[in-house]
Amino acid sequence: MIVRMSKVEIIGSRDRLDAVLTVIEEKGDLHIDPSNIGFIDLEDTAEIRTLLPDDRTLFEKMFLEELNDKIHLLFALLPEVEVRQSPLSPGPIIDTIRRTVDRHLAWCREQHHKKEGLLHDLVALEGQLAFLRAVSSLMEGMTETPDLDLIGLTLEGPEVLPELRQQLENLTNGLYELATTRTEEGRMVGLLAVEKSRTAAVGAVLRDTRLPEYTFPESFRNLPLDRKQAYLADTAAERRRDLATVDRDLERFARRWGPIYNAADHWLAERLTIIRAEGQVFESRMCFFIYGWMPTRGVEPLRGALEGRFTGGVHLQELEIRREDLERIPVALRNPAYFKPFEQLTRLLPLPRYGSYDPTPFIGIFFPLFFGLILGDAGYGLLLLPLAAWLVFKYGDRPLLGDGGRILGACALYTIIFGLLYGEILGDLGSRLLGLHPLLFERQDNIMAMLVFALSIGFVHVTLGLTLGLIAAIRHRLKKEALAIFLNLVLLTAIGLLLIMFFGVFPDLLARPLIILILTLTPLLLFSGGLLAPLELLKTIGNIVSYARIMAIGLTSVLLALVANMLSGLTGDIVLGAVVGILIHLINIVIGVFASAIHSLRLHYVEFFSKFVETGGRPFQPLHRRDPDRLAKGRHPIG
Amino acid sequence: METALIALAAALAIGLPALATGWAQSKIGAAGAGALAEKPELSGLIIILVAIPETMVILGFVVAIIILLGGQG
Repeated sequence: MIVRMSKVEIIGSRDRLDAVLTVIEEKGDLHIDPSNIGFIDLEDTAEIRTLLPDDRTLFEKMFLEELNDKIHLLFALLPEVEVRQSPLSPGPIIDTIRRTVDRHLAWCREQHHKKEGLLHDLVALEGQLAFLRAVSSLMEGMTETPDLDLIGLTLEGPEVLPELRQQLENLTNGLYELATTRTEEGRMVGLLAVEKSRTAAVGAVLRDTRLPEYTFPESFRNLPLDRKQAYLADTAAERRRDLATVDRDLERFARRWGPIYNAADHWLAERLTIIRAEGQVFESRMCFFIYGWMPTRGVEPLRGALEGRFTGGVHLQELEIRREDLERIPVALRNPAYFKPFEQLTRLLPLPRYGSYDPTPFIGIFFPLFFGLILGDAGYGLLLLPLAAWLVFKYGDRPLLGDGGRILGACALYTIIFGLLYGEILGDLGSRLLGLHPLLFERQDNIMAMLVFALSIGFVHVTLGLTLGLIAAIRHRLKKEALAIFLNLVLLTAIGLLLIMFFGVFPDLLARPLIILILTLTPLLLFSGGLLAPLELLKTIGNIVSYARIMAIGLTSVLLALVANMLSGLTGDIVLGAVVGILIHLINIVIGVFASAIHSLRLHYVEFFSKFVETGGRPFQPLHRRDPDRLAKGRHPIG
Repeated sequence: METALIALAAALAIGLPALATGWAQSKIGAAGAGALAEKPELSGLIIILVAIPETMVILGFVVAIIILLGGQG
């Protein structure tokens, strides 16, 4: 339901503005309107003007924003840890915090710089170790002598080897040995043994062919191979210890200073919210004026809070809502517990306008119904129900998954109901094994009946939408629009009755009067709805025909279930048959859930809501505190 | 002969709309993917928009069923 709003004006003396905004923020249900259009008369606009902040407020805003940015930078450099709530109130010590944050920021940056250097070293060391481990196996096949030089290589791939070997052959007259292998990461490395006298020439060839010679740092280049490995391993271990020390220091810092910076962050956010809200306030010579919208049930509590705090010094009054205000009133939705999860589906649409209808209850009623109508298998419903329950119990506190589970639960219940009405449990398995008979009809054998059923549902749904549109038009005193909708309803009913008579369900006694009625009302429709009104009627008929998808998609689900049962029977083996049947039924469930959900939603968004929901509402954004639980839980960094 | 013509009619009734639906959905899907790259919050709406042209194939399916059932009668 769309929450009923009141138009309010709060007046008080200028020196109380901050305190009043703090009370409003604590209550958290006043949406301040930055425009005074509709709140004051035109002749008063010269006296009541936008409040311009003084130098002190501007300076305070810049100071707090800069501090806020620095604290956020600090949080970005610190690890995520659970911290306790700070007992200190940051307000009185904000100057101290400002002086300290620069020092802490510099320290954290230094630690991060150190950490980056250590990580860089570690990566290089591990690369060198990997290279040495790979080539050490090659060196076992080579004899180290004083007149031989061993050169390490990294190769792009085996395709470079033929050309390299050719060049080495030419340069050394065949007096070389090249062995290749792959490192643990899959890189190709090689070890080249040549005479010391030819090292320079070979080096030049390697550079020309863009094959980097693997060189080790000066500190251990001349060490023997086994000592190189040990040296690298020890150095890498030392780097890891240093890295762990840096991480520990950062974590210790986060635990020590996190609570106070967390509290400061919340305090700054609230203070900045108040300062920014002052930009939406108006003033005269002596007073401030706050104009806004709030839920009607919240007016008295806020009035009471202002009276209690300022004993008559601040006055809240409700103003009359005029017709021209309707477009500006912000919209908040509040629904009972059953319908609340369906707001996730309503959010896909633009907000309804104030005074229009909240689509949530209608989706809550009809979406699971259509879902069940389309999927319509008690076996599938029984499988979906535990999945829905698992989603609700495991992820109940997460809006998307928890609400998704609740919606799925409602849909599963309707799927079971319609499964029993159609006599379907995993296709025809229910009738074959349990002797289940349909309470309504079998979908696969009564296609025309199902089609008529689906179109009837469409007729009822669309005419319900038109009726709601008619009520809205009457409420808003839009006479021509109301007449056009009424004529559409009558003409649709007349055409529906004519079709029923055409198919011989009713005797055709009323055929002639209905035809006369249609011919008489059509010009009226042109008058009330314009030249496009007959096209709108045709479009509405098309909308009703669109509900045939309930039959079509439902039929494909049934037929796929029948195929699953038939194929599992054809295998001739009970185990193989069960596997085949389960697989195809699972595919059918997945396709069925998606298709049923998407098409049910589409029927609502396109065929149903277009008849009565007016979109374009402003979101309700009250001035409020940040989630107090976040401060209590001490989540850090800010999230 | 008559059975063959009925089968052909039913095949055309569902085949041609299916092609049209596929073509329409390919355009909408491509545009939707581009919109999603900039505004991921539009994902739900874009899924609905992609599903809208399916009306053609569904109605084609219904006509095919009617042709087949009428042909059997």
